[in-house]
Amino acid sequence: MRNASLKPLGKSFTEGVRMAVKIVMPRLSLTMKTGSVVRWYKREGEEVRKGEPIVEVLTEKVTYDIEAPEPGILRKIYAKEGDEVPVNGLLAVITKPDEPLPEIEVEMEKPKVEIKERIPASPAAKRLAREYGMDLSQIAGTGPGGRIVEADVRRYIEEKLEYKPKIREVIPLTGVRKISAERVAKSAREAPHCTLCMEVDMTEASKFKESLGVSFTDIIVKAVAYALKEHRIMNSTLEGNKIKVFDEINIGVATATPQGLVVPVVKNADKKSLPELSAEIKALVKKAREGKLEHSDVSGGTFTVTNLGMYGVEVFTPIINPPEAAILGVGKIIQKPVVEENQVKIKPMMTFSLSFDHRIVDGAPAAQFLAKIKEILENPSILKD
Amino acid sequence: MREISYRDALREALREEMQRDPTVFLLGEDIGRYWGGAFKVTKGLAEEFGDERVRDTPISESAIVGAAVGAAITGMRPVAEIMFGDLTTLAMDQIVNQAAKIRYMFGGQAKAPLVIRTPFGGGVNIAAHHSQCLEAWFMHVPGLQVVVPSTPYDAKGLLKTAIRNDNPVIFCEHKLLYPITGPVPDEEYTLPFGVADIKREGNDVTIVATLYMVHKALKAAEELEKDGISVEIVDPRTLVPLDKETIINSVKKTGRVVIVTEDCKTAGVSAEIAAVIAEKALDYLDAPIKRVANPDVPIPFSPPLESFVIPDEKRIIEAVREVVY
Amino acid sequence: MIPSKEKLLEMYRKMLEIRQFEEKVYELYGQNLVPGTIHLYAGQEAVAVGICANLRRGDYIVSTHRGHGHCIAKGADLKRVMAEILGKKTGYCKGKGGSMHIADFSVGILGATGVVGAGIPIAVGTGLSIKLRGTDQVVACFFGDGASNQGTFHEGINMAAIWKLPVLFVCENNLYAMGTRQSRVMLIEKISERAAAYGIPGVTVDGNDVLAVYEAAREAVERAKRGEGPTLIECKTYRHKGHSRMDPATYRPKGEIEYWLKKDPIPRFKSKLLEMGILTEEEAKWIEGEVSRGIEEAVKFALESPYPEPEEALKEVYV
Repeated sequence: MRNASLKPLGKSFTEGVRMAVKIVMPRLSLTMKTGSVVRWYKREGEEVRKGEPIVEVLTEKVTYDIEAPEPGILRKIYAKEGDEVPVNGLLAVITKPDEPLPEIEVEMEKPKVEIKERIPASPAAKRLAREYGMDLSQIAGTGPGGRIVEADVRRYIEEKLEYKPKIREVIPLTGVRKISAERVAKSAREAPHCTLCMEVDMTEASKFKESLGVSFTDIIVKAVAYALKEHRIMNSTLEGNKIKVFDEINIGVATATPQGLVVPVVKNADKKSLPELSAEIKALVKKAREGKLEHSDVSGGTFTVTNLGMYGVEVFTPIINPPEAAILGVGKIIQKPVVEENQVKIKPMMTFSLSFDHRIVDGAPAAQFLAKIKEILENPSILKD
Repeated sequence: MREISYRDALREALREEMQRDPTVFLLGEDIGRYWGGAFKVTKGLAEEFGDERVRDTPISESAIVGAAVGAAITGMRPVAEIMFGDLTTLAMDQIVNQAAKIRYMFGGQAKAPLVIRTPFGGGVNIAAHHSQCLEAWFMHVPGLQVVVPSTPYDAKGLLKTAIRNDNPVIFCEHKLLYPITGPVPDEEYTLPFGVADIKREGNDVTIVATLYMVHKALKAAEELEKDGISVEIVDPRTLVPLDKETIINSVKKTGRVVIVTEDCKTAGVSAEIAAVIAEKALDYLDAPIKRVANPDVPIPFSPPLESFVIPDEKRIIEAVREVVY
Repeated sequence: MIPSKEKLLEMYRKMLEIRQFEEKVYELYGQNLVPGTIHLYAGQEAVAVGICANLRRGDYIVSTHRGHGHCIAKGADLKRVMAEILGKKTGYCKGKGGSMHIADFSVGILGATGVVGAGIPIAVGTGLSIKLRGTDQVVACFFGDGASNQGTFHEGINMAAIWKLPVLFVCENNLYAMGTRQSRVMLIEKISERAAAYGIPGVTVDGNDVLAVYEAAREAVERAKRGEGPTLIECKTYRHKGHSRMDPATYRPKGEIEYWLKKDPIPRFKSKLLEMGILTEEEAKWIEGEVSRGIEEAVKFALESPYPEPEEALKEVYV
């Protein structure tokens, strides 16, 4: 950009000030923006008289002759014939004969640089987006000035890319559910579970039940307590490196309540008669269902019985109630054809599923224990006392 | 492990190398028995090795370095001390045009195994002519190697390597580092050039720092840790050759880098390191590369002015916060 | 002390070699075979030869941009010098140095420097190395009248003086530093007077009288070997051509050039040798023929040698 001044140079200082004269595109109407140069009447270097036409311009279909406002030499022409020049744009300069050409301010437009609008994003964010084939315009940036940073892309990936089914309801894991979840997880994690199943002919037990007016659960609890007396190892717990065999036989009866699974414990089940057991179990279950169990009711168990038969389950793999050694699952009674003395008979069969902690006991002793229970249940008269 | 000062570590290196190799000798102003070196690095060495091998010179930096060049190309291993890094300017032709180019220019016929030791750095209020950091100038001259040790351990190991090395080495010390102590083994050891040291491990941001700034960065990192920002500090130890790989790998890990040096920002050491990071680790940057350096001013005298110019822990912490978000 | 006949003939031969070599380089430059520019030694042969005749193979010299003469006098291989000047890979520096940076470390040529005066501290260091190693080597450092104003001249000579180093500081005063006459840049007429400032002996000799140079150098070498330190030897001489190949040297008055051409060291020495009966015309012709053949071989070798591979540019920056 040159200096804008048209100051007189050299000798003209002493001759009195007369500026060189700019000839510019005139505004010939209110709306005129540009005009074009049609014809120069005078050439560069030619003398011009005041009032003499020097150039013809065209604007909005009107032609116009621009006249020299001062006499002098048409020193330099800045717009060729055919050029489109904006209003006030420089066309020519007239100077006195010995005046050197003044410095003309040339309006130079700064070259327009097209700067594409870009989404500001850090290189790391861009790389991640590229790897996942993602469009950055979808992502909100949390960096300075709204810059998309790597964390933003990551969050987007986690939220949007992995398909997650819609959530209907969120239930926080609290209370009984939470405790139950923790215990069951711990049990499954720490005790290697093995489950043995046996079908038991409940014919005699059914008769027994009718005669005494007790429930199957009562009978089973009593049978288990009895069997545990002969198979003490099934009534133990593993603490560190020691298997501690319990002296008491306290049997928990898994009970479903609206709050979740609770296991009230019948203490010293082996020492109680069937009617006593039955009454106690009834009371505990009632308390359980009413949510009135106390801590002492649910602690101190050494073995657990869990019955899903009423729901139609035949066989299942119960999870041991820690820190016990085993748990007996009770299934539904099904009338089944069974072979007895080479004949097919219909019998009420109940499948028992015994899960045990394989750290404490192996399959054979567990099987023997289960076989004992079967034996007792198929000949329940010993439970009378 | 015993702890000795940076100054003592340098002296040990000189002593061990002079004992090991009779072609190693020292020259410089006031390094001999009368003063023991302006910063006392060579104290005691003249008494041990004699005035011929620990040689006081006239005030003639150009001739000191030139003499080192001449001795180096005829079988000796001189270690020249230039009293202040600022005064290397007086020997620039001998360093840049002679020492650095002899090997290349004469087609590999000769080598110039000399070491120029000189202290850079400010913080002691001795103003514009005695406080500069000019390592970037020497980084820019092919043929020179540039060493910037920040601890006594690094200083000793690297100086021994510099002396044994067959290239001309600019060994950049720092005035404030001379008294600091650190662990140095009793046994002899050397450290290779071109291997950076991770002075502190971290995950959130990388700080690349040299000389005294390493220590300021370490302090800053402790503060930042309290806010849960985990800082990794990479100390290049040598600027030529530069361990680009360690720097790049650290930036790839953290995604953010702050380069902290004590020279003027424009075209300083940090500019080169920033360019290398931008060239090789661009896709791993989660924030712009940040540089903390002196503003482009000579070092002023008055304490509040000097403290304003030379980066401190506060500026480093601010810089880290700007890129960790 | 006059040198032996063998030595005298050797000196004559060497001066001829330098002269013919430089003339050949001038010619090749005119044929556009020499890149860059050249600074010719023609006219100054007596200085290089007179000094180097006192040096053994194991002694050192440090040379300058106008150094072809020094290097040839010290025993450089003409073929490899020529090849280097032409930028070929068989040159001393693999084409990486050129005319201003000839070096042959195997015969003690510690390289020519392109920075005026920069060789002086290097020579000081060489002297220091000799002293520390305890050998009886010496080093001769060549530089011009212009260089004697450089700081390195003063720092270097002072340091060599105080440490009593075995250095010959040889100032080739050819009256001009590029286009600047000595009298315009210093008040003293004899540069050797500057030696007094450093407490060392300084002598000015006729640099176009090879025997005078020889004698001054001999004394200086003996001083150095006796451990008495450096000497400044100023050799007044003149370059026949301009500063560099581009320089028509119009700053030199015509009368002056003629005056010095009349003092051309080679015809002078030839006359002396003929006079002394050391040389006959036939012998002289024979020597000239031998020298020409050597130059031709060098040129042929250089012209036929290949240029270096471009990748050579990246090699040998570091050891």
